Amino acid sequence: MGQMIRFGLVLGVICLVATLVLAAVHEVTKPKIEEQARIEREAALKEVSPGADTFKAETADDIEYYEAYKGGELTGYCLKLMARGYGGYIHMVAGIDKDGVITGVRILEHAETPGLGSKMTEVKPGEEDPWFLRQFVGKSAASIEVKKNIDAITGATISSRVVTDAVREGADKLMKKLGK
Amino acid sequence: MRITGELVKGLWRENPTFRMMLGLCPTLAVSTSVVNGLGMGISATFVLVGSSAMVSMVRNVVPEKVRIPCFIVIIATFVTIVELMMKAYTPLLSRSLGIYVPLIVVNCVVLGRAEAFASKKGVWRSVLDALGMGMGFTWALCVISAIREVAGNGTIFGYPVGVSFSPPLFMILAPGALLTIGLLIGLINHLSLREDGRR
Repeated sequence: MGQMIRFGLVLGVICLVATLVLAAVHEVTKPKIEEQARIEREAALKEVSPGADTFKAETADDIEYYEAYKGGELTGYCLKLMARGYGGYIHMVAGIDKDGVITGVRILEHAETPGLGSKMTEVKPGEEDPWFLRQFVGKSAASIEVKKNIDAITGATISSRVVTDAVREGADKLMKKLGK
Repeated sequence: MRITGELVKGLWRENPTFRMMLGLCPTLAVSTSVVNGLGMGISATFVLVGSSAMVSMVRNVVPEKVRIPCFIVIIATFVTIVELMMKAYTPLLSRSLGIYVPLIVVNCVVLGRAEAFASKKGVWRSVLDALGMGMGFTWALCVISAIREVAGNGTIFGYPVGVSFSPPLFMILAPGALLTIGLLIGLINHLSLREDGRR
């Protein structure tokens, strides 16, 4: 009995110390991590809406989006999208202009198969942006479809289709909401 | 054993991947490209050294019967600290390694060394042992992922290898990892058998 209490005490003390250390580290790093996430989100918005300088967060029903402004003038929209991929949820942002033409797509987070689905964010050496996502730029959001005008990633048809469908359907929903 | 022996044994004679067959799960999962393999190896080495040092420090206070939960708490704490620090201060590194860092908690190389070595030896020996094991794990991962990346994707470090061929997809998937690891272990066993025969 006395032994059991000793075991419990040692384990308890170790857990307590671990909790305190983690709480301290969490407190110190939390603002920095939030700041990094904000910088990253902002950079992603700027990438999918080239030229825009200010973004205003908006929601319409269940759609979360940003209005993109350039010098005070509305130039387009950035959509926050989430879709169920092959390995988990894929979080992305897609930029469209006022007529529904895609200006850019970026993946924020994904858990697709390394070496296959993960290639959707692959940047080939000597290039600046992922080749898979570049295909979307300049196409009308309503028209995109895998194997029609979007080349799927070899061995990752599901991931490719999920991203393409999410952008098309998301843009479609927003356009209808805005009455266009 | 001499103190340098603790460092070098992990590289070959007691290599965690090829000799002790430890940490095969993360090895299967991340050895799809050299960059991933190298990243996983370096982060695992970091956690190994840190947790081995801590386990060695508390080894005389922790009762035998509850040592495993104690070690796991120490390892998990260390991994979480590394993860939070990376997210806050090196966002670029965290972006490329982010998903692999939490995997280190369940890497049995780390718990294996805590149990078999750090819980019985002094702090400095434990740190050297952990460093050697970490480097052994890293080079093993690099070799396996280099073979898989060249054969399954036609690239190395993301650059095309020159000859163009249609890469067999299975090399990037789990069967390719099992085949590669099996063939490498066979080769290494063959080499050391010949070495023993000569002696």
